[in-house]
Amino acid sequence: MKVLLVDDEEELVATLAERLSFRGVEAKWSTEGQDAVDLTKHESFDVVVLDVKMPHLNGIQLKKKLERIRPEMKFVFLTGHGSEEDFRIGSAEADRYLAKPLDIDALVATLMEVVSHDDNEC
Amino acid sequence: MTTTNAECWRSVSDEGLRFFGEMSASVSHEIRNKLAVINEKAGLVQDIAAAMKSGRSIDPERLEVQAGKIIDQIRQANRIVGALGRLGHSVDASQTSINMTKLVGLVAELYGRKASQAEITIDTTGLADGVSVITNPFLLVDLIGACIDASLPRVDGSRILAIASEPSGDGAIVRFQHLEGVNDSDVQLGGEASGARAILAVLGGRMTADRERGEIVFEVSDCQYCDSGSHQ
Repeated sequence: MKVLLVDDEEELVATLAERLSFRGVEAKWSTEGQDAVDLTKHESFDVVVLDVKMPHLNGIQLKKKLERIRPEMKFVFLTGHGSEEDFRIGSAEADRYLAKPLDIDALVATLMEVVSHDDNEC
Repeated sequence: MTTTNAECWRSVSDEGLRFFGEMSASVSHEIRNKLAVINEKAGLVQDIAAAMKSGRSIDPERLEVQAGKIIDQIRQANRIVGALGRLGHSVDASQTSINMTKLVGLVAELYGRKASQAEITIDTTGLADGVSVITNPFLLVDLIGACIDASLPRVDGSRILAIASEPSGDGAIVRFQHLEGVNDSDVQLGGEASGARAILAVLGGRMTADRERGEIVFEVSDCQYCDSGSHQ
């Protein structure tokens, strides 16, 4: 499984990518929306995990851009806010929604579920 | 002031609550982010230790690096919590002698995340020593915050918002510098009826835009409202 992690907090995404690699998940990361767009133009990912609130291009806007490039990709939103509004947006816009701090096993289970759900649909 | 005293103080009170809410939400978001990083770093240490136990050859220095990064995150979180604590304590006195360097430094700390999201650095090295004013600390924090809010969209290509201070009679002048295209509408603070305007009026402060120098200039003098007792 190939995953792209996008969050403006570099220490978070870099560490998450390393932890996912310990669990057999190939993960790349980016701290900036445009960088994620460029990366996606060159390679596809099974799932994109992205923060709802980021400077410049927020999670919702970024998701729309990435979907246009790779419509087959699935999305999991993250948020550190935990507000009702974030929950509403996250639930409505993404395949799954997780709040920080993350439970790595819950994240891996969510990624598996999102990918297998896609396989079942095929 | 065109509104009645009661209306004015209601505006001040509403604005103060709004500002405190905004700062609390911002700091809590920042702390949650730090906790999220600490959570992952601690988890990674566990992952590395488990892999080493199971016989994988891993450089033990990786553990040391991650432990150092956890300590960094804790220090950063502690600094942010400290700023929120100082904001909370700014309501302890309705009037006191304020060291402008410390107070503006506090606001710069609280606005650090907002500025960095706009890819702007706040530089407070231009704050002069020994500049002080006797006024309401919490309301002054709010107004300095309003000045930063007004300045951020105008910061020039340097991406640095420089804040400088100087003494002025029985008060202080604070300059928000490196601004481009700044004009009078930038210092309206949301118009006559806004809470920030009410605070400006209550403290007897003045905000002006200096287009030529690329500055928003905030002047404040020793407490103007306390003598009248109108805040009671």
